[in-house]
Amino acid sequence: MTRDCSLGEMMIAAIARTIDDGTLAFHGFGSPLVQLALHVAKRTHAPNLVLIAGATYGVNPEPPFLTPTTNDWVMDRGAAFALDIEELFDLAAAGRMGRMFLSGLQIDKWGNCNVTSLGKNRLAMKLPGGGGGCNLACDVDHITLWTTGHRSPLDAKGNRRFRLVERCDFITNLGHRAGDGRDRRALGHRGLGPQWIVTDLGLLDFDAEGHARLRAVYPDVSVDEVQDNTGFELRFAETVETVAPPDRETIDLIRRLDPLRVHEKEVRPGDRKRRFAA
Amino acid sequence: MTAATRAGPAGVETGTDKRRDLEGLAAMVKDGDVVAVGGGLSSREPMAILRAMLCRNVRGLRVVGSAHGIDIDLLCGAGAVSCSSESYVGFEQDFGIAPNYRRACEAGDVRVDDSCCYTVVQQLRAAVMGLPFMPIRSARGTGFTDLHPEYKTMTCPYTGEELLLVPALTPDVAILHAQYGDAQGNLRIEGPPVLDHLFAKAARTVIASVEEIVPTARLVELGGITIPYFYVTALAEVPMGAHPTACYPFYAYDRPHTARYYEAARGGAERFAIDYLEPFIRDCPDHDAYLRRIGGEETRRRLASWATGTDAWMSLYRERVDA
Repeated sequence: MTRDCSLGEMMIAAIARTIDDGTLAFHGFGSPLVQLALHVAKRTHAPNLVLIAGATYGVNPEPPFLTPTTNDWVMDRGAAFALDIEELFDLAAAGRMGRMFLSGLQIDKWGNCNVTSLGKNRLAMKLPGGGGGCNLACDVDHITLWTTGHRSPLDAKGNRRFRLVERCDFITNLGHRAGDGRDRRALGHRGLGPQWIVTDLGLLDFDAEGHARLRAVYPDVSVDEVQDNTGFELRFAETVETVAPPDRETIDLIRRLDPLRVHEKEVRPGDRKRRFAA
Repeated sequence: MTAATRAGPAGVETGTDKRRDLEGLAAMVKDGDVVAVGGGLSSREPMAILRAMLCRNVRGLRVVGSAHGIDIDLLCGAGAVSCSSESYVGFEQDFGIAPNYRRACEAGDVRVDDSCCYTVVQQLRAAVMGLPFMPIRSARGTGFTDLHPEYKTMTCPYTGEELLLVPALTPDVAILHAQYGDAQGNLRIEGPPVLDHLFAKAARTVIASVEEIVPTARLVELGGITIPYFYVTALAEVPMGAHPTACYPFYAYDRPHTARYYEAARGGAERFAIDYLEPFIRDCPDHDAYLRRIGGEETRRRLASWATGTDAWMSLYRERVDA
């Protein structure tokens, strides 16, 4: 019998809770945690979700297992229809897409993400690029951000390279405030911006100013630990709660959906041992 | 601007037999071309044509597109690219960052000109429609407007809102791999077309490899044509032409080969040249030699085994590959 769950399973359940029933949501590529969260949501609290698969654009697929890459025919099995790329992005531009999921090697306090390049004045590291994230971060109603790299261990020189940073070196995906300080609302985008950040340490949402604030931590994480691993002055919700683990049915469901445990590759090796009582 | 100077795709390709060999296709890509590579991530990328281009030592390409992986990384690793306007080049969470692409960008050999999927879609649509630009709402407030001074803003004369204008994108060459084609160049793509249909309609020259050349009537029987012949300049029958990416229903993604590629690429430029470029490109005078090098019929059978059932399909990805 299932008695506990992993960090990956905790995060999948936490991401799934951000998905509303009766909306259209899309997962991108390279994100098994999000793929699983959508399938969990559709099979639990959001049966009327219109689920669009990452790179195949299949509508409501039922993949027999999760593949290590997203553009694979496995991922649209059971889908009676697939969109083409124009239609997928048109849906977002026209205001029909309710939620999308984005990440970055830098996520700043306004929810901006950088997946393009590190280095402010010169290119220090080229990142893979954002796919369609830049467009979707502007157009989609709500964005759930996630990262498995919030914890920022000290390097040999005693410095931390934060994942949650004061300011992104490059803004690939727009959050609540542009690089020049303009409020997102002044730009007239359709989407309302990031609503949640689900991390390996806890959950953050955004205050009225659009600034990230800590809402909850996992049972094995302290609030101080979150501040130590965050590159900006953290703000806090009135009460910082403990993230609830998924129920046993949900854990079993995740294990059936991902028999190859593809999602564990997204979790850092040191975090794969973390266990939470279910 | 007169009709003669107007940028955009050319006329119609009315030839009745467009069959060429792989080398004939590769020769249509010139140094400095703006190149749209079809497929995406680990699926239906025109790898055999790219390998044939590298054998010809093509240089100075500008690559444009959406989400790519080993195709663009290989071109970068062989020194064929001078500018990347792709939206993503990587190996997802499975292997991670694209080593050759990253190295070439950081060394300054490849100019970083990143784009974003819908921006590219709208730019291609403008070319397809013969319009100079298309508007979008998104991307304002991000780093892309600084990276791309050619994007302009305008106030919409109807609503008064600010819009971003992105110029038409007309690739010199679209390079595609489809499951089926006929002698005249009709192409049938099964599964996600990614940007291939837009590339074909927006580009000046369209070259394609296909798994099988069949009679036109057979294309119709199979379910219809995705890209009609008059967009297509030339094609070649190249079985396993997308390897190591997938081309279902013929074969799945070759993950162990990709792991070997990744390991070589991660080891640095020199190691990549010795461990990958030499055995799989320089030492393979033609596609048949490549197929023998990757294991011939045994490899083809292994990758085709996905069709026998879920367990067989899953086992293609079960193998532990540490990269």
